[in-house]
Amino acid sequence: MKASSQSTEQHSSLWLDAWLKLRKNRLALFGFAVLIILCVVSLLTPWIAPYGYEQQDLMLGATPPSLEHWLGTDIFGRDMLTRIMYGGRVSLMVGFIATAVALVIGILWGAIAGFMGGRVDALMMRIVDILYALPFMIFIVLLMVVFGRNILLLFVAIGAVEWLTMARIVRGQVMALRKQEFIEAAYSMGLSQWAIIRRHIIPNTLGPVIVYTTLTIPSVMLLEAFLSFLGLGIQPPQSSWGLLINYGVETMEEYPWLLIFPSVTLSLTLFALNFLGDGLRDALDPRAAKD
Amino acid sequence: MPRPQYQSKLLSLTASALLLFTLASCSDHQNNVTAGNLSGTLHWGNSTEPQSLDPHIATGVPEHHIISALMEGLIYKDGETLEPRPGVAKSWDISEDGRVYTFYLRENARWSNGDPHNAHDYVWSWWRALQPALGNLYAYMYFPIENAKAYYEGEISDFDQVGVKAIDDFTLQVRLANPTPYFLQLLDHYSLFPVHRATVEKFGTADQRGTRWTYEGNMVGNGAFQLKEWKINRRITVERNPYYWGADNVGLNQVVFYPTENVTTEERMFRAGQLHYSGVPSDKIATYREANNPALRIQPYLGTYFYRFNVDTPQLQDKRVRRALAMTINRDQLVTQILKGGQFPAYAITPPGTMGYYPESDLKFDPQAARQLMAEAGYPNGEGFPTTEILYNTSEGHRKIAVAIQQMWKKYLNIDVTLLNQEWKVYLDTVSNHHYEMARAGWIGDYVDPNNFLDMFLCNGGNNRTNWCNPEYDRLILEQAPTAKSHAERLTIFAQAEKILLEDMPVIPIYVYTSNNLVHPSVKNFGRNILNQANYREMHLQPESAQEASQ
Repeated sequence: MKASSQSTEQHSSLWLDAWLKLRKNRLALFGFAVLIILCVVSLLTPWIAPYGYEQQDLMLGATPPSLEHWLGTDIFGRDMLTRIMYGGRVSLMVGFIATAVALVIGILWGAIAGFMGGRVDALMMRIVDILYALPFMIFIVLLMVVFGRNILLLFVAIGAVEWLTMARIVRGQVMALRKQEFIEAAYSMGLSQWAIIRRHIIPNTLGPVIVYTTLTIPSVMLLEAFLSFLGLGIQPPQSSWGLLINYGVETMEEYPWLLIFPSVTLSLTLFALNFLGDGLRDALDPRAAKD
Repeated sequence: MPRPQYQSKLLSLTASALLLFTLASCSDHQNNVTAGNLSGTLHWGNSTEPQSLDPHIATGVPEHHIISALMEGLIYKDGETLEPRPGVAKSWDISEDGRVYTFYLRENARWSNGDPHNAHDYVWSWWRALQPALGNLYAYMYFPIENAKAYYEGEISDFDQVGVKAIDDFTLQVRLANPTPYFLQLLDHYSLFPVHRATVEKFGTADQRGTRWTYEGNMVGNGAFQLKEWKINRRITVERNPYYWGADNVGLNQVVFYPTENVTTEERMFRAGQLHYSGVPSDKIATYREANNPALRIQPYLGTYFYRFNVDTPQLQDKRVRRALAMTINRDQLVTQILKGGQFPAYAITPPGTMGYYPESDLKFDPQAARQLMAEAGYPNGEGFPTTEILYNTSEGHRKIAVAIQQMWKKYLNIDVTLLNQEWKVYLDTVSNHHYEMARAGWIGDYVDPNNFLDMFLCNGGNNRTNWCNPEYDRLILEQAPTAKSHAERLTIFAQAEKILLEDMPVIPIYVYTSNNLVHPSVKNFGRNILNQANYREMHLQPESAQEASQ
């Protein structure tokens, strides 16, 4: 590959390289495909769902999978497939939005603290320590009580407590990076601090960040289920995967399909996220690209 | 008393972790039940953390269970027949006109710290229970006593005029305003239990709420057991009270109460041999029935499950709306498809057959007429009806019913309802402070008489909580019924009152309870009664049969 022109082409080749590498990773592609399918199905759910998510048939009650109800029905006679599809909308939204909030805050905070060092770093990390020390359930509950039971606020509230670990990871990476020669080189070229953070530091921390992100999404989904159960998240008849699993556990001996199908769906999503995360980390690692 | 019933709040993971934990401890042969049978310790699934152990403040079945182990009234009810048995009073006389009761107290009655226990304790305790500042929800239980109502409402300020007097240390005289057939039964209710004056006053004034006198190490009672340890949200342990007058006949050494809010978890604990007594989730009843499991006990239960309206909520002020909501609940389906425990649909607040009383009710499932009523009230096809909230205490059982009702109202009336769950203590506060729109409720008989269900809705009744007030209703319950010439006439008056209640519909009756529980076969003398009152002083444990049962 000849680098004839400078920055713009170099920049695109990093992503192009990544894509080329990712394409060779079958598991990652499989994960990617599963996620795309789940997202598309979730988006289209209101039009393609076989039943209404709140449509009950008490006389039918809980029935195992059948031709009319592919994944069976719950104790209210509601179609499980429909419930899982609608639940996915909530779960995926919580997973992505809350994690995005956590990512943005965490990376910026960690990168600035790590890069500035000294007093700024000490101050910023002490703030993180203080927030860590707060029992985070109480923190979320407080946020929810103050701001009301709004589903968007739920996302933000979860994101607002999930960024702490991210900030620490990024800070550690940045501390190691900023001593390296290419940063000094960038300084000597006259780049501003902000440009260095943006162009050099953050891309180099992407590996661990992506891995951690794929771990954050599932924990956020479970957190949402817990909050909903406390009456702070979403409320019946709406549902999410976490809640469906929660209800499924209660009757797993009598009606196992109420537990199995939502659990399989959630597990599939988590696997897909992990495979994709793994693949992305390998693909995006700038050090690997130099080989 | 309000009943939390099936409670739950744990995340699935926590639940399964608990399950793993209980399974793990299951392999350990020394589980709670086996060990408890040997040491005389009864392990009791009590569903939730009690709001309070102060008998003049508490309300609710979980509280009742613990308080009835720690304290005793003048009489107690037989575990099987509910007949009055001599408690602190060894005998009593009733005057010809049924208005003066004279109790002769046991001279060997003692408080759990060894202090003498006598008639003056009752006079002081009942004075305390009638202090308005204490906020006793059950103050109206005293109203049969002469002048108690007037004193409570501040019309008279001299407690000496109230009909309770200590004639000497061991003779207590109670004068009633009217002959009250259920008065002896009332004495077994915790709101009429005596409290230890020195202890109450040590930790605050007599009418101060939430003082530390009921805490571990402080509490002094007069019951068969005394408070040994209170670990918040973990367990409450009571142990044999050596000063109890009948201590020699108490069969248990300890009772441990577990606040397991999730009935599924509680039932798993029972199966793993961690509990002698637990609730049973509705979806598991069929399994127990098919297996002919002797632990399952389904019994009639004198209680009604209902929804309260806060009648000050703008959209619920119109009784046509309240009736329309009541008429669109398909109770038959709820009972057969969701509850599955032999419950009956309720169309009135008093369970039918209470002391021969059968309420008349014109309430029935009729969506057509309900839609008509909604249209008349200005909400044709549900248009313009604001989103209204149902409050319930956290529990999968209550959630299921609320979810089903939410959908019925959506389907038949096209109105939107949201659900809100709160933990038991918070829920009790919210409802008592009228900060709700609609709230789930349950009422279990404290004594067997229609009065127990109907006097709940007196204008200033502490357990009314609906803001509903009807002077005519109060007059029937407080003036007419007590002076009725015959039992039949009394029941007729109750029927009139209940008709007013159902006409105004400040509450929606939903179903008549059955008590569905699991009782380990090693528990003897458990007693069966329609109040499901546990008589810990008579129970004992038999290890042999326990081993048989676990194999």
